[in-house]
Amino acid sequence: MNFKLSEEQELIRKNIREFAEKNVDPIAAEIDEKERHPAELFKKLAEGGWMGIPIPTQYGGSGADYLTNAIVVEELSRSCASTGFTVSIHVGIACMLILLFGNEEQKKKYLTPLARGEHMGAFVLTEPGAGTDVMAATTMAAKDGEFYVLNGTKTFISNGPLADTYIVFCWTDKAAGRKGMSSFIIPKGTPGLKPGEHFHKMGLRSSQTSEVVFKDCRVPKENLLGPEGAGMMNAMTGFDHGRVGISAQSVGILQAALDESIKYSKERVQMGSPIARHQAISWMIADMATDLSAARFLTYHAAWLKDQKLPFSKEAAMAKLFCAEKAMHHTIKAVQIHGGYGYIKGAKVERLMRDAKITEIYEGTSEAQRMVISGNVLR
Amino acid sequence: MPDIVVCFKWVVDEAYIRRTSSGDLDFTSVDYKISEYDRNAIEAAVRLRDAYGGSVTAMTVSVPEATKGIKDALSRGPDNAVFIADPSFRDLESSQTAAILGGVIKSRMSCQLVICGEGSGDFYAQQVGPRLAEILGIPCATYVQKITIDGGQVIAERKAEDFVEVVAMPMPALVTVLPDIGTPRIPGVKDTLMASKKPVVTLGKGDLERIPEASLKTVGMKASRMERECEKFTVDTADIARFVGALQRKGVLR
Repeated sequence: MNFKLSEEQELIRKNIREFAEKNVDPIAAEIDEKERHPAELFKKLAEGGWMGIPIPTQYGGSGADYLTNAIVVEELSRSCASTGFTVSIHVGIACMLILLFGNEEQKKKYLTPLARGEHMGAFVLTEPGAGTDVMAATTMAAKDGEFYVLNGTKTFISNGPLADTYIVFCWTDKAAGRKGMSSFIIPKGTPGLKPGEHFHKMGLRSSQTSEVVFKDCRVPKENLLGPEGAGMMNAMTGFDHGRVGISAQSVGILQAALDESIKYSKERVQMGSPIARHQAISWMIADMATDLSAARFLTYHAAWLKDQKLPFSKEAAMAKLFCAEKAMHHTIKAVQIHGGYGYIKGAKVERLMRDAKITEIYEGTSEAQRMVISGNVLR
Repeated sequence: MPDIVVCFKWVVDEAYIRRTSSGDLDFTSVDYKISEYDRNAIEAAVRLRDAYGGSVTAMTVSVPEATKGIKDALSRGPDNAVFIADPSFRDLESSQTAAILGGVIKSRMSCQLVICGEGSGDFYAQQVGPRLAEILGIPCATYVQKITIDGGQVIAERKAEDFVEVVAMPMPALVTVLPDIGTPRIPGVKDTLMASKKPVVTLGKGDLERIPEASLKTVGMKASRMERECEKFTVDTADIARFVGALQRKGVLR
C-alpha cells in the first residue's frame, strides 16, 4: 500500500493552490454575490491546461490522471466551490463522456476544444419530473431519416446558459425501457435548442444553472454519442466520474471550513482565552479534521481505482455520500464556531455552508448514493 | 545566444515549521520549495533564453531526496538540470555550496551567464552568488532588477537605495537578482508532467573535488519571541504622565 502522491501530483497541487490564491480567492465572494461566471478566470485555467487534465494530449488535454484532476478540483473548491464544480462537471462528465464513448471524429471536433478549455460542456439529463428517477424523463428524439428531432424540457442544467457543447440524454425508444435512452452531442446554436435564464440559487451561485429547452431540434445522426440505446449506460458512467469530482469538491469545502475554523478559533478570545482552548470548540475541530481525512482518502481511492482501470462505481458513490454529508455537517459547525460573525455576508464560512448543501443533492442525492451502495453490497 | 546556468536552493517551506511550547522549531513535517528569489532567477533565465536564444541549465546542490525540486525547477522552463546530491549536503554553508557549484561549472560546463537569487529563503546570507563569481573568476552584479544582453555584454540594472545603477559586464558574468526582475510563472499541468522527461545530470560526492570545511557552525536554533506587556493608558493628564514614565523606564525616552 502506498499513501504517497507522486512528485508530479504534489507539485501540481502546489501550483493550483498558488493559482487559486492568486486568481480565485480575490474574486470568490464577489462572483458569489453577483452570480457572475468569471470568464477571465476560466481563460487563465484553460491556458494552464487545468480544463482538460485527464484527457490525452492528442485531444487537447494535459494527459494527467484522474486523481490529479480530483486534487485540482479539491484545491479550486477550497477557494471557491463554484469554480471547482464548473471544472468538475466540464472535465469529469462532459469531456470524459466524449473521451469514453465518442468516435474519432467526435473527439477531434468536440472533445479537443473542450479539453483545451476553449469550449464549455454541459451534462443535460435532469427534467422537471425526472431527478433521481431518470426513467421518468419525457424528452424524446424521433427519428427522421438521417436526423433525430428532439422535443422536451431539461432543467437544473449546470453551465446551461453558457455551454458550447451539450451532452443530451433522451428517449429514442421509450418502449425499450433502460435500453431506449440515447445520448447526443449537440453544439450551441443548433436551431431548436434554447437555454433558459440563470436560476438564482442558495449557494454555488457563480455556477450558471438553467433550463435547456428542445423544440423540434434537428440533430444529425452522426451526433449520437455511442450507439442508439446506450444513453442510460453512458449517463451512469458519467455519474461515476462526476461523483469523484463532487467528492473532491466537498473535500475542498471541508478543508476550507477547517482552515477558517482553526484561524478564527485561535484569534477569538472569550472568557480569557482563545476559543480554540475551549474543549467544546477544539473537539468540533478534531472531528472536522478527522472526517476531512477520511473524506479525502475515500475520494482519492475512488480516483485511484479509476486510474487503475478497476471498477469504481460503488467507491465513487461512497465517497460522494460521505464527503457531501460531512461537508454539510462541518460547514454548519464552522459557522457555529464563528458565532455571529459567521452569519454575516462576507464571512467565508457563510458561503461554504450555502455551497455545501448542493453536494448532497446534485449528481445523485445522498439517497440515490445509498441506493447505489446498498445495491452493490446486498447483491 | 548565451548558455545560462541558473542556481537554486531547495529550502524548507517555512509555512510548515511549527514552534513547540519550549520555543524550539519543529521540522518533523515540513515540506520543501524552491527558494523564493531563486524562482525569480529561474524566470529571468527562461525569459532571457526566450528573447535571445541559447539554453538554460538549472543547478542545485542538495540531498538526494530533492528530486521533486529538480522537477519543480524544470517545470518552470529550463532545458535541463544538473543535480549535485549527497546525504551530507543537508546543512551546507554558503562557502561550501559556492565551492561545489564552482567546481562543477568550471570542470564540466561552458556558460556565458550565471544567475542566482539575491539570497536564499532560509538564511538569506547573500553569499553564494558573489563567492561563486570569485571562484569562476568572472564579474558579478548584485541586486539586479533587469538584465539585457548586448553582443558579448550583460547590461544589468542594479537597484540601490535611492537610485538605479546600470552596469555593463563582459560575458561570462554572474548576476544575483531581486524579485523585481519578474514574477515567476505558475507552471501548467503539462509543464509539470514534461519536467520529468527533460535531461538531468546527477553528480555525487565522488564526482566533486574536495569540499572545504564549513567556517561557521550552527550551535542551535530557537523561534524568535516577542514579549508584550499590553499596558493600557487613557488620555487624561495623570495617565499621560504615567505613559511618559513608562517610556522612560523602558529607555525609549531619556
